[in-house]
Amino acid sequence: MRLDTRDLVVRYPGQQRPALDGVTMHVPAGTIYAVLGPNGSGKSTLMRAMLGIVNIQGGEALLDGKAIGSWDRRGLAQVVGAVSQSETISFPMTVREMVAMGRYPHLGPLEGEDDEDRAAIRNAVAQCDVTDLETRDVTTLSAGERQRVRIARALAQEPKVLVLDEPTSSLDIKHEMAILELLKRSVESGITVLLITHGLNLASRFADRMLLLSEGRVAAEGSPAEVVTVDVLTEVYGWPISVDHDEATGWPRVTPLRG
Amino acid sequence: MRRTPAEPIGRFALLFVLSLGACQDTASGEPEPLPEGIRAIDASGAQVALGEPAQRIISLVPSATQTLQALGVGDLLVGRTDYDTGAWLADVPSVGGGLDPNLEEIIALRPDLVIRFGGNQDPRTPARLDEFGITHAAVRPDRIADLYASVILLGRLTGADQAADSLVTAIEEGLAELSRNAESLPRLRAAYVLGGTPPWVAGPNTYIDEILDLLGADNVFSDLGALYTSVSREEIRARDIDVVLVSDASQFDGTLAPDARVVEIGSALEVPGPDVVRSARDVAELLRGPSGR
Amino acid sequence: MSRSKLAITLIAALLLASLLGVRFGSVPLTTGDVLGVLAGGGDDVQRDIVMRFRLPRVLLGMLVGGGLALAGATFQALLRNPLAEPYILGISGGASLGAVSVLALGLAAWGSWTLPLAAFAGALLAIVLVFRLATATGQAMDVRVLLLSGVVIAAFFSACIAFILAVSPARTVRSAVMWMMGSLDGATWGSVTLTAVYTLPAAAVLIALARPLNLMAIGEETAYYLGADVEGVKRVSLVIAALITAAGVAVAGVIGFVGLVVPHAVRLLVGSDHRALLPLSFLGGAAFLTSADLVARVAMDPAEVPIGVITAFVGVPFFLLLLRRSMSRA
Repeated sequence: MRLDTRDLVVRYPGQQRPALDGVTMHVPAGTIYAVLGPNGSGKSTLMRAMLGIVNIQGGEALLDGKAIGSWDRRGLAQVVGAVSQSETISFPMTVREMVAMGRYPHLGPLEGEDDEDRAAIRNAVAQCDVTDLETRDVTTLSAGERQRVRIARALAQEPKVLVLDEPTSSLDIKHEMAILELLKRSVESGITVLLITHGLNLASRFADRMLLLSEGRVAAEGSPAEVVTVDVLTEVYGWPISVDHDEATGWPRVTPLRG
Repeated sequence: MRRTPAEPIGRFALLFVLSLGACQDTASGEPEPLPEGIRAIDASGAQVALGEPAQRIISLVPSATQTLQALGVGDLLVGRTDYDTGAWLADVPSVGGGLDPNLEEIIALRPDLVIRFGGNQDPRTPARLDEFGITHAAVRPDRIADLYASVILLGRLTGADQAADSLVTAIEEGLAELSRNAESLPRLRAAYVLGGTPPWVAGPNTYIDEILDLLGADNVFSDLGALYTSVSREEIRARDIDVVLVSDASQFDGTLAPDARVVEIGSALEVPGPDVVRSARDVAELLRGPSGR
Repeated sequence: MSRSKLAITLIAALLLASLLGVRFGSVPLTTGDVLGVLAGGGDDVQRDIVMRFRLPRVLLGMLVGGGLALAGATFQALLRNPLAEPYILGISGGASLGAVSVLALGLAAWGSWTLPLAAFAGALLAIVLVFRLATATGQAMDVRVLLLSGVVIAAFFSACIAFILAVSPARTVRSAVMWMMGSLDGATWGSVTLTAVYTLPAAAVLIALARPLNLMAIGEETAYYLGADVEGVKRVSLVIAALITAAGVAVAGVIGFVGLVVPHAVRLLVGSDHRALLPLSFLGGAAFLTSADLVARVAMDPAEVPIGVITAFVGVPFFLLLLRRSMSRA
C-alpha cells in the first residue's frame, strides 16, 4: 500500500505556526521511506496524521489512495502497525500478552485467539528476538527490550504498512542493525515502511527515499543521495556538516563538524 | 433492685459537700454570717473556689441550665448554649454550642462562673477559661447520681443549698414513689432504639437503663458491652420485647418487633434533668399503655 | 495461578461465605433451624431472621462487593493509575453529602427510600460535576483532568459535610458517621432486586469492554493504533463504573478497600488481561464483602462492627501478603 500527503496542514490549538505547513509526500508501496528533521520539525505530527490521530486543517493524507479520515478505525488498525516513541506502562503484563494485543484489530469482540493468531504472535516474537523474554513482565525490561517488544506487537498485526517513530533510539548496535535488516526484509515481502528517525547515516543506508522536514515544511525529498547533501543538511540543522562516502560500501557518511 | 441506687449516693454527696462548707462555720448561736468562701469538688474531681455565691453564671450544659431554674436562681444566668430552649431564656444570649462555645462571647459576658461538661470531650474550653482566670465547674449529665451531684454542686455555688437539698429530696421521693407503683406490676421487657442502619440501642449502665429499671422494666439489651451499640436487625427481631421505646416512631420499623408495643417518648429520656420525675412519670404511663398504671 | 483455578477458588469462596452468612449471625441459630426455614418451616422469628435479614444481606453483599471491585478495576485501567478506586471521582463525597443532608434535616426514616435516594442523587451530582469539569475545554476527555477534578470535588463535598456536622446535634453526627462507615444491615429483597437489575447488566457491559480496556491501560494513543474506539469506550465505561459505584454507596454506605485491593490482588494472581481481571474481580469482590459482612456480624456479637472497618483490617494485610509473594517471585 502506498502513502501520500498533498499540501498537508496540521495546526495544534493555541500554537503560532502550523506543525505541518503544506507537506507533500509520496511513499511508494513496498519501500522504506525515512522522515528526518530537527526537533520540532513536525515528524511525529506527520506520523499522527497518517494514523488518523490528529485533525487535518488543510490538504489531505491518503492511505492506498483513500483519505485516512474515511478509513474506519478497525480497518485502519488491520493494515497499519504503529510504534510510537515511548509508552508508560502502569501495570504488570507479560511480553507475550503485550505482543498478543497486536492481534486485537483482527479479533471480534468475543473471539479468542486461534492458530493463525498464535502463529503471527510467534513469528513477531522471533523476528524481534524477544523469545526468551516471552514470560517476563514488561515493566521489568530495559528500554531497549521494551522497544523490541513494541515492534513485535506491531508486526503481530501482520500489517501492510509499518509506521515507526524512532524505533531504534534505545537499541544497541546489534539490535538496531537487526531491526533495520528486519525492516528491509519486510519491505521485500511487500510491506511499506514509514520510518521517522534522527539517524542520518543509517537512514541514508537503509531508506529507499527520504523526506527532510524543517519547521513544518519540506526542505528536501528524494533518494538519500539527493537529500543527504552538505548544503541542505547544514541549512536545516543549523550546524556545519560534512558529507562523504565510505570507500568500501559507498554508503554516505555524515559528520557534524566543530561549531 | 427496684430502689434507685442513686438515693444513698445522693445523700452521701450532700453530706460530703456540706461538710466541706462546715469547716467555715462559727460556733456562735447568732445567725450564721456568710461563709468566707465557697469550696466544692466538681464532677471532674477538681476543686472549685468562689469568694461569694455566683452572681453571673454561664451554663454550657442544658440540664444544668434547667437545674439553675429549678433552684430558683435562673435569673443569675447571663449566658447559655444554642441547645437551651425555653421562653424564660429569651433574653439570655447564647455562646454557641456546649462542647465548642465561643470563648470571646463568654469572656465578654464577664461571668464569675461557667458550668461546663465534665469528661474528655472538650479539653480546650477548661484550659482557655483557666487562661483568662474564669472559674468553671464541671457537671456530668449522664446518670441520676450525676444529677444529684450537680444539683448539690450548683446549690452550693449559688448559695442555694437549701433549695438544692429540697430538690434532691423531691426527686428522690418522686422516683421512689414511681418505683413503688411499679413493684406490683409485672416486669416488662423493654428496649430503647435510637434509629440508624444498623439500629442503635441503649445498653446497660445508661440513664435509660436506670429509669427503665425503676419503672419495672428490664432492658433486653443489658447484655451489651457498651453504653450504646449498633446491633443487626435480626438481633432485635430475635429478642423477646414487650415495649420498644423510640424518640420518633417514624424512625422505627415496627416489623422488627411485631409483638411489641411501640412507644414514642420524644426526647424525654435523653438526659437526666431536674424534671426527671415528670419525664419518668410520662414514660411510666406510656409504658403501661392506655390501660393506665 | 491459572485463571480457571482462581475462578473456581473464588466461586467456592463465594458459596462458602454465602452459606456461612446465612447459617451464622448475631442471633444463635442451629444448622437445623436454618435448614428448617429453608425447607419452608421454622417459627416466625427464625423465618424473619433467615429470609428477611440474612439472605438479602448476603446477596446484597455479593452485588455491592462485586460491583465495587469491578468499578475499581475499570477506573484503574481508564485512569492508568494503580491507586484509582471507585470513589476517586468524588462519588463517595457526593453520596455522603446527600445522606448527611437528609439526616440533618430529619427526613430519614427506616424502611423508606429517602436516604438511599438522596445518597444516589448526591453521587450523581458528583459525577456530573466532575465530568463537566473534565470536558470543559471542549476537547476529548483528558483522564488526568478527570482525576484532579474528582479530587477537588471530593474535597469540596467533604467541607460541606463537615460544615453540616458542625452545626448538628450529637445524635445526627453519630448517625452520619455510622452511615458513612457503611453497613449491609438495611438490605431488603426490594433493595437487592433493584441493585441486581441495575448492577448485573452494567457489569456485563463492562466485562464485554475488556479488550479495549486492555489497550486503554497501556495508553490512549496505542489504543488508537490498535483500533479501539478510545473516546467511546472511555465515556461508556466511566459512566457505567461510576453508576455502579453510586448504586453501591447509596444502598450500603461508603465501604472502602474493596474497589482498591481486590483488583490488585487478582492482578497479582492472574495478570492484567481484563478479560480475566474484570470477571474475577467481580467474583473476588463479592466473596470478600460477603465474608467481611459475616465477620462484622459475629466478631463482637451481639454488636455489629461497621463493615468498612473489617474491609480495612482484612484487606490491607491480605494485600501486603500477596505483594510480598509477587515481589519474591519477580
